[in-house]
Amino acid sequence: MKMTKRLFENDTMTAEERLQAVINLQVPDRVPSSPFIYYFAAKYAGITVHELWSERKRYLAAIDKCFDELGPWDAYYPVNPRYPEIYTLIMPMKARWPGIDLPPDSICQLLETEVMKAEDYAWVSEMAGKWGRLSYVGFFLRMIARAWDHIDEGFGAFTYAVPRMVHHLAGWRLEFDSWRRRGVTTLYGFLPEVAFDSFSLARGLMPFVKDCRVRPEEVARAAEDLTEGYYFITRVICALMGIPRAQLFLHRSSNDFLSPKMFNELAFPSLKSLVDRLVAAGIQVVLHCDGNWDLNLEKLRELPAGNCIVEFDGPSNIFLAKEVIGDRMCIMGDVPPDMLCLASVSEVDEYCHRLIEEVGKGGGYIMASGCEVPPNARPENVRAMLGSVTKYGYYGTKPREQSPIPEPHTMPT
Amino acid sequence: MSEDIAALIADVDEERTLAAVASALDAGTDPLLLVEALRHGMSSVGERFEAREYFLPDLILSADIFNQATALIEPRLEGGSGPSRGGVVIGTVQGDIHDIGKNIVATMLRCSGYDVHDLGVDVPPAAFVGKVKETGAGLVAMSGLLTFAFDSMKETVQAFADAGLRDSVKMMIGGGPVNETVLDYCGADAYGKDPSEAIRLAGALIDAALPLGSQTRSRPT
Repeated sequence: MKMTKRLFENDTMTAEERLQAVINLQVPDRVPSSPFIYYFAAKYAGITVHELWSERKRYLAAIDKCFDELGPWDAYYPVNPRYPEIYTLIMPMKARWPGIDLPPDSICQLLETEVMKAEDYAWVSEMAGKWGRLSYVGFFLRMIARAWDHIDEGFGAFTYAVPRMVHHLAGWRLEFDSWRRRGVTTLYGFLPEVAFDSFSLARGLMPFVKDCRVRPEEVARAAEDLTEGYYFITRVICALMGIPRAQLFLHRSSNDFLSPKMFNELAFPSLKSLVDRLVAAGIQVVLHCDGNWDLNLEKLRELPAGNCIVEFDGPSNIFLAKEVIGDRMCIMGDVPPDMLCLASVSEVDEYCHRLIEEVGKGGGYIMASGCEVPPNARPENVRAMLGSVTKYGYYGTKPREQSPIPEPHTMPT
Repeated sequence: MSEDIAALIADVDEERTLAAVASALDAGTDPLLLVEALRHGMSSVGERFEAREYFLPDLILSADIFNQATALIEPRLEGGSGPSRGGVVIGTVQGDIHDIGKNIVATMLRCSGYDVHDLGVDVPPAAFVGKVKETGAGLVAMSGLLTFAFDSMKETVQAFADAGLRDSVKMMIGGGPVNETVLDYCGADAYGKDPSEAIRLAGALIDAALPLGSQTRSRPT
């Protein structure tokens, strides 16, 4: 389904054309936006987080309320798991869930436990050799069974997880189509945590740090061996979702967790293998780079140019990133969470203006929050962030106030 | 011998550090001197971390070596591991269960000679106050990764004021989103960007031996 609707009267591109332009490092009509909104939507809509994740219609209504009242935005940022266990198929950790283990209006909290054992690196490499393109499934079925007491290993995990994943993906597909009808594109069709970082999450930080000292080759090899499985599942799900873009979470590869040497030697090879293969298959990549990446930026230049978005969450120097990788990669972010919670509207407006002027110079930039819009962000600050792209973000035209073009839409059911 | 041990742990050399400590104990070296050497080495680790020569794994691994080494030494210590540099009550504030950063800071504080009272995660303000009353600790260290933690930190600072303890206790904060703005918001005395800075701040706040740096502030009146 081709997108035709434009979001604002001064727009000369659709949201998808705009997103493609910035990924390709071309100058779009204006800076696009793609805020990571999940828990914030619950608070803003006056529902609990438990209601947000367990009642799909309420989730959709809450996101719509944010879009209609604080947006619009150009690219929908999908992070809503239909089942808590689906979360574990991305981040292999035990978790506490609102409405299950936590009060209904808490947010999900991940636990640092050893879901994965040291001997599992050897198992991963052996399993990947046998399972090949299904090795992602093999790895995560073992992890999900260890993270949830009610899920059995092996066939039990398969029969539990796969139907739920299919149900989840069907819901996503309907959502994405609905957004497309509204003139909004979707940022990605799948969002795996890369293998190296998955190991860090599944082992727990302390054991993983020791693994990187005691058995570095084994860790790096296991991550590399999973590339085929990651590539295959990502390609399949992106095709099913109709979105030829994948987000790769990199929660544990920043300089906050790894030295540049460890990143270069242990984490980067498997990351590069995966990105190269995805790009060669026509799938663009969003690198979700949490933490401080300043010392890793130069290495990122080895990834394919004009096909990657690098998303920062605040600790990295996004202005330095523009200098170092701006000629090869689109940059996204990074209005910091504390600013969205505590700063004034004028401070947010000023920072967003600077982002657009400096990081958005010549294109190649997406306005976004630094990682997730925090649940206790001030709504007026979120509105200021999203509004900055029409206030300051048009290329070659003077900033002017405009209203989004209203159009009722039908929510997917 | 002590200089060697300090250098070995500073180089994050587990095998040789532990061997050197065992050898020194067998040779009758004063155990307190060994503890001091290990602390000196850990101080070097902190300096290299601040210089970005070392990274988080080096802090974690060196702290682990320190703990193993002190486990070897402790049976030979008759009067404890030397004079304490002061008491610190530490915890992740209410509503937040993230503990990686808090645990690293707690370990580094112990390595630096402080009596650390770790309250764990999701710690209510009253628990911080109660522990300070119980132990007489002069420093409270609050950690949080979530933006929800900002309010919990503020409530904890207020709880100390309500208990009449704010003037006798220094309070520092840390965690992913914490910065100067959050410090102003919650009314603590200082914030640390990373574990190494937390150790330096603890020294400044407790010992008053170092001038307070740019990331400390006067207490609100």
